[in-house]
Amino acid sequence: VCFVNWWVDGAVIGGLSIGAYVVFCLLGSSGVSPAATKVVAILTMFVNYPHFSATNYRLYQRRENLWQFPVTAIALPVLMLCFVVAALWQPDVIAPYLVTLFLIWSPYHYSGQTVGITMIYARRAGFSFGRWERLALSTLIFSTFVIALVHRQPTDSREFYGIQIPSIPFPAWVETATTTAMSIAVAVFLWFVIDWCWRHRRMLPPIILVPTIAQFTWFIVGAPSGLFYELVPTFHSLQYLYIAWIVQIGVTLGTEGSPRSWRSIGAVTLRWGVCNYVGGILLFIALPAVLFWVNVPVLVVTGIVIAGVNIHHFFVDGVIWKLRDAPANSPLMINIPNLAAAPRLATV
Amino acid sequence: LTILSLTQRKENSISAIDMPISPREGFLALAIGLMILFGVASTALAGRVSERTHIALAMLAVLTGGFSLLVLFGGLLYGSPIAAVVIVGALIALFKLMNRFEAQRKSKS
Repeated sequence: VCFVNWWVDGAVIGGLSIGAYVVFCLLGSSGVSPAATKVVAILTMFVNYPHFSATNYRLYQRRENLWQFPVTAIALPVLMLCFVVAALWQPDVIAPYLVTLFLIWSPYHYSGQTVGITMIYARRAGFSFGRWERLALSTLIFSTFVIALVHRQPTDSREFYGIQIPSIPFPAWVETATTTAMSIAVAVFLWFVIDWCWRHRRMLPPIILVPTIAQFTWFIVGAPSGLFYELVPTFHSLQYLYIAWIVQIGVTLGTEGSPRSWRSIGAVTLRWGVCNYVGGILLFIALPAVLFWVNVPVLVVTGIVIAGVNIHHFFVDGVIWKLRDAPANSPLMINIPNLAAAPRLATV
Repeated sequence: LTILSLTQRKENSISAIDMPISPREGFLALAIGLMILFGVASTALAGRVSERTHIALAMLAVLTGGFSLLVLFGGLLYGSPIAAVVIVGALIALFKLMNRFEAQRKSKS
């Protein structure tokens, strides 16, 4: 079921975040201190930024990808550029809405990834998702995003890179209704799991449930902790990079005649890692720096660029990793130790 | 009276033309231009690109229109609880729609 082994997969796709939450609880730390901000900044450089770059790397690394998704590869960046230019032109009128769009879309996007990763592991384990199973899982996961969105609205307006974002005054019944929907979805999904275990006379591999439990930790139990919530984008990015790495290995070494060994896996990983690290720096540090001549504070320019790059990523991500799209299918069924050891038995 | 009315109408029309465009109107003009561009691109590419590409271009127009409405009425998002529910609901519907961006459509079989 796992790509590498239970420990590695379990840690990266959610175990680390659950563990981090337990540590935060034990230490009783919830505030955002300067030291913690430094740690978050370092993780952002090495995990969050490369995760955005990994999407672009996957899309733009081959010319045929561009022609497979021409609107995403060519027209969408132009539209995003127009939005960014408009926000830079009118930072008081347009920028707050571009950032609002990104801030609401972001946890929605995380939820979509949780569903996607759960489906990948379920598929590898042979757990078939019918319409109702998928509906229960999606309701469960997306309701956590709505609850977090409602719950985390501050009483006053907040700032995002110098851009004022007022709080959204949700009515109290929204949280109650969503919590009820989530509770029903949990019960229905558990019923499906128990039914599957009963019919197959075996336990459902727990790895399938790890992304959902992690999502619940991020948005429900961990959301009140300011520092933990700051780390949620890093946990999401880590999940993403893992799957992107698997796909990169599969695409590069999964073909007939490719050299298959731990050494070749290491070489591909190193090249891919360095490219994405540099790509992340270019996207989030070089790009705002290039716009130094714009008559807008650098902090605001950075906020606008971050929003634009994020929204672009949400689209590209949805296009590239679609399970039903043939080129990305096979790599998601590989097993890394098998790929390194036995060339003929690499793909399942 | 007729002369006075004509003069007044002329003055009104001149003042309407001379009225400065607000930043928000400027953005809306840009957005309308983009939506026209996507429509023109889709028409010009008729028969030469796949249905998926046409749908993706239409979705870009939807995104541009949706974002323009957010800029136009977004103030309500922060002012009225009911409007907040409606606008966030509409945004989630927009995200859901954009999930199908340039993806293969499921065959009916």
